Amino acid sequence: MAAITISKVSKAYGKAAVLQGVELAIENGTFFTLLGPSGCGKTTLLRTIAGFISPDTGKILFDGEDVTRVPVHRRDIGMVFQDYALFPDKTVFANVAYGLRARGHDRSTVEKSVAAHLDRVGLAHLGDRYPAELSGGQRQRAALARALVIRPRVLLMDEPLSNLDAKLRVTMRETILDLQRASRTTTIFVTHDQEEALSMSDRIAILDRGVIAQVGTPEDLYERPANAYVADFIGAANVLPVRILRAAGEGHVIAAIAGHELCCLGSGTARGGEDGKLIARPELLVLGEAEAAPGTPNVLKGQVARRQYLGARTVYTVRIGNELTITAERHAGATHQPLLAPGQPVDVVVPRTSRVVAA
Amino acid sequence: MRQRILPWGALTTLCIAINALFVLFPLLTLVGNSFSGADGIGFDGLARFLATPDYLRGLRNTVVLGVAVTVAATLVGVPFAYIVARYDFPLKNFVALLPVATIIIPEVITCQSWLLVLGNNGFVTKALRDSAGIELPSFYGWGGMIFVMTLVYYTYIYLGTLAALRGFDGQLEEASRSLGRTPVETVFRVVIPTVAPAILVNAMVVFTLVVGNFAVSIILGNRIPLLSIQTYNAFVNEMGGSPVMQSTLSLVMITLVAIVLFVQKRFVERRLVQMAQGRAPAAVRVASWRGMAFAGLVLVVVLLSFLPLVTVFVAAFSESRGPLVRWGTFSLAGIERALTAGVDPILNSLKFASVATAAGIAFAVLASYLIVKKRSAATQALDYLVVLPLTISGTVLGIALVQAFNSGSMVLTGTALIMIVTYVVRRMPFSIRSAASSLYNIPDSLEEASISLGVPPLKTFLKVVVPVMWASVASAFVLMWASTLSELSASIVVYGGGLETLPIAIFRQVDSGRMGPASAYAAVLVVLIVVPIALSVKLLRIRLFATK
Ligand SMILES: Nc1ncnc2c1ncn2[C@@H]1O[C@H](COP(=O)(O)OP(=O)(O)O)[C@@H](O)[C@H]1O
Ligand SMILES: [Mg+2]
Repeated sequence: MAAITISKVSKAYGKAAVLQGVELAIENGTFFTLLGPSGCGKTTLLRTIAGFISPDTGKILFDGEDVTRVPVHRRDIGMVFQDYALFPDKTVFANVAYGLRARGHDRSTVEKSVAAHLDRVGLAHLGDRYPAELSGGQRQRAALARALVIRPRVLLMDEPLSNLDAKLRVTMRETILDLQRASRTTTIFVTHDQEEALSMSDRIAILDRGVIAQVGTPEDLYERPANAYVADFIGAANVLPVRILRAAGEGHVIAAIAGHELCCLGSGTARGGEDGKLIARPELLVLGEAEAAPGTPNVLKGQVARRQYLGARTVYTVRIGNELTITAERHAGATHQPLLAPGQPVDVVVPRTSRVVAA
Repeated sequence: MRQRILPWGALTTLCIAINALFVLFPLLTLVGNSFSGADGIGFDGLARFLATPDYLRGLRNTVVLGVAVTVAATLVGVPFAYIVARYDFPLKNFVALLPVATIIIPEVITCQSWLLVLGNNGFVTKALRDSAGIELPSFYGWGGMIFVMTLVYYTYIYLGTLAALRGFDGQLEEASRSLGRTPVETVFRVVIPTVAPAILVNAMVVFTLVVGNFAVSIILGNRIPLLSIQTYNAFVNEMGGSPVMQSTLSLVMITLVAIVLFVQKRFVERRLVQMAQGRAPAAVRVASWRGMAFAGLVLVVVLLSFLPLVTVFVAAFSESRGPLVRWGTFSLAGIERALTAGVDPILNSLKFASVATAAGIAFAVLASYLIVKKRSAATQALDYLVVLPLTISGTVLGIALVQAFNSGSMVLTGTALIMIVTYVVRRMPFSIRSAASSLYNIPDSLEEASISLGVPPLKTFLKVVVPVMWASVASAFVLMWASTLSELSASIVVYGGGLETLPIAIFRQVDSGRMGPASAYAAVLVVLIVVPIALSVKLLRIRLFATK
């Protein structure tokens, strides 16, 4: 177990910069997630930490020790691969024992540790099977046991759940978390699935084309997105162009949008007189009958353009003026409100906790 | 960065160096010699080639023979593959034996045994002559060559077509039928156009093999001018003199083959159809007269393919004098002589084949690994180098190696080493191809998993990659063993005193009309090929062919 520091790491393939000055500090024992869309550089960063890729510039430190030039096999890492990468010619037991044997542990130690870890992942009875004879979930567990049995300084996982079906994915999240919590192994988890990231992580780093967009706890990222990219990636969000008019105290700003005025939280970088972006989560917008007087702060007057009934909730697309559409959701259950019909005029109330960020 | 250079960089350099020394350097020497004149560069060789009608006839005949055999082999192989892929009938399981015949029976033996059957003193020839007074046309010449080569080479087209048909998506046929085409129209409009490129690729391979063929051409050619024989004769005649003509003729052969391979790579292979998915239509069970006809056809082909084995074994245990074998007699004299006074070729063959197979496979495993898994500009170059021998027929390879290592700082002619190098180089493209095929199925993550668990790269290769490659390596091993023991065209050029192998001995006995000793050696050779293969297939459960 180790604290990991990534210092100014950059990597380019030819002219394509894949990582640009990545800085991260990952505390000992945390579950840390690298999140971002496909192609943003997650795998490259993870493989740089593992040592399969040497960065062009920058350093990787494990507990303050510079490992940038240390070859992979001496870094003491555990890795779980997307395709599991179980050795097909070896039994589950031999797969899990592989790393211990490489370290020259004696027979009885190997057998005891392997048995304990197989037990922990629920494969105690399947040690004699070959990987081809296991289900997807069982392979995933074997791969986890193989990576953890060597008590690695850091556990690296690259989209380990993406080959499983939806239901199994949710169960495996819990298995992984339980194992991580029990061993307190520093874990770096790569995914493009925001739900996975939010539900599992202590901290998350969001990557945008090789640059860290924001690092924080799941709540930080959801409630206080640093920019439109993060807001859009974490949960759904309406990202709408606004003009920032002036500051309004207590961190709020007044912004103009489609002839309406809004009072919302401003981020540090958004200043009066500049263009900004309003980030409004559909599930936080309130839809009501068109009864507010024109000019009421934080109320946008519009018309239902489209309705998607999804059972638990209904998603409305509302047209505001001529140019703007906004997505709002109403949840079934609590209020028993009747559905709104397309064409019906509505008021969209934007909560004052919505954020305006620099464009 | 140091971990990048070692060990793979060093090993890549080593592989390239070996190829440069034993493939590139001999080829360049050959090209240089063909353009050498009295003082430096000259075009004497080319001028003499163009001015000698016999050489031009040789070129023309070679092309004609190539086309004739390719067409004949296609006419046999394609319908046969179609019947096997699409119908189920009695005795069908026997077809699995056919590729085995090609592997275990060296060309020179096929040739010799057909002479025992249909040659001037063959038992069928004699039986017809004595009983019915019918005189068969001479087996020497075009007819015999085309007949034997078709038998030897049709399996390439048969296997290639069979694989394509088995990968064919049956839904395409159903779609065609649903759109109103009859079954027969569907075969011609949908099935044949889809598998045609696969057939053509294999047909072109057959053409290049015919161009380079030595054994059948020299034994049955009956002085018909053919490039491969003219090249060999030029080599023999120029021994000790200037090697201009042998080099020029070699170059003509290389060019001919290179053109065909270029067209194949450039225009035909890219038209190969990759079936996204789908399952080939199930074989239809046919009974009654059609089933009997198909069964009869299979029986005939299997018998024709294995007849050589029966013939040489019977001949090996019969009394014989010169070209005459006394059928129906029994004698151990021939075998006894082969195992006592004449045992040298047997020992040589065993020695060379073991060393060459071990070395060749080790090299193939390493090189294919570098090419597939350690992509870089250097391994890309290696990839091109290792397929070069495909353009070189055995005779030409032998000539190039002799020219390169006859003088200078590295004299290898007349040594066992040059024999082994010859075998390894000749087989290299094939061994590497079969080793590489399994590597594509080994994901990189497998090695990375091992390295991440603390096992260094080279050790990971041995502990993780080699065991997974094992099945295909084992089959490459078996094929190399068989083809090395059978090799004649290159080894007959490079061998020297005391290095005679079994195929060379068989050829020389046939050439001087001694069918008894030839048959005895042939029987021994087949045993040497078959017994280790049978044992290892049995013990190691090797599957020789990817095509089920
Ligand atoms: N070996 C490579 N050579 C060239 N480009 C690469 C290589 N590896 C990754 N890339 C590029 O770097 C970018 C980031 O890749 P990757 O780290 O795999 O992204 P992610 O895992 O987030 O999907 C992609 O645009 C990819 O095309
Ligand atoms: Mg990735």
